[in-house]
Amino acid sequence: MILDFQSNSLTTVEQVEQGLWLVTTRYDDNLFSAEAVLTVRFPTLDITRADLTVKRDVLGLAPDLRSAAENLVGVRIGPGMTQIVRGIFGATSGSDRMADLVLDAMEMLINALTVPELRKAMDAGGVSLAQGKEGPKVQLNDKVIGGDMVKLMAQNPRLKDSCVAFFGLGE
Amino acid sequence: MLAYSRTKSIGVQKQGEDRRVVSGVLEDELYAMACELAVHWPTLTIESAQTKMKRFSTSRCPLAESVFTKAEGWKLGPDLDARIKKELGRKGCRHMAVLMVECLRNLVRAEFAREFKSAKQKEPKTDVREFLAEFYSRYPSLKEYLRLQ
Repeated sequence: MILDFQSNSLTTVEQVEQGLWLVTTRYDDNLFSAEAVLTVRFPTLDITRADLTVKRDVLGLAPDLRSAAENLVGVRIGPGMTQIVRGIFGATSGSDRMADLVLDAMEMLINALTVPELRKAMDAGGVSLAQGKEGPKVQLNDKVIGGDMVKLMAQNPRLKDSCVAFFGLGE
Repeated sequence: MLAYSRTKSIGVQKQGEDRRVVSGVLEDELYAMACELAVHWPTLTIESAQTKMKRFSTSRCPLAESVFTKAEGWKLGPDLDARIKKELGRKGCRHMAVLMVECLRNLVRAEFAREFKSAKQKEPKTDVREFLAEFYSRYPSLKEYLRLQ
């Protein structure tokens, strides 16, 4: 079957120098292509620079984003960021799509900072995943965070009941 | 040095007059997953939802797959994103919820793009804003859902 609509997005997170991170999100579909580039100071996690670029807008609906980009400077990545970012884009330029793109970039920085912690948990509490006879020929999960370590992580207030891995375990 | 990257790729198909199908994959350092949905058009109802946790971080992550079938019967509309993230993301997988939300939003964008392209072929001077108003009059629940700008 031939597709008649496609979208692709790529977000990259890199530490450009000690205490400074660069997050780039690029989105492309049949109608629209845009990029958000955020420079973020660590450990305060405040945005020091935001560049928003619409690369292709077939429908011609994308608004001017300059004031939104300026207003992102100083916004802190953390609790409440969704409401703040939606407010910036809703008030100044009315672009839900760019708000989505910026929020995606912000969340990916959080994910990037989480990876080393999950690696530690994997090293400390990694187990082999039991596979039946019908298991895959190529194993993508030879080691996962298992039983006791999952229960321990579920006690963390940030993780408690946050997904199926921790649901009901943080009592 | 690159610390983290995530890709999402989504494709939409029209399968006959009343069936739309979308498939999406997400890959990053921690996860690989796939989401496939069939939506009845024009009732905008999710007919089938299947998800696959391919690569994950904990032994319990695959349990999320059964949670996402609960979306079957749900309709596309302004509250759908929040419902998927709250009811399926928290009890299943937040990352899969993000992928499902994007799949459905792209399915609607694809419908708009398909219909707009067809209208332009019939009448090259078709105005996008007028067409958008007409599209919303046919699908009122998509007015707060379809994000084009």
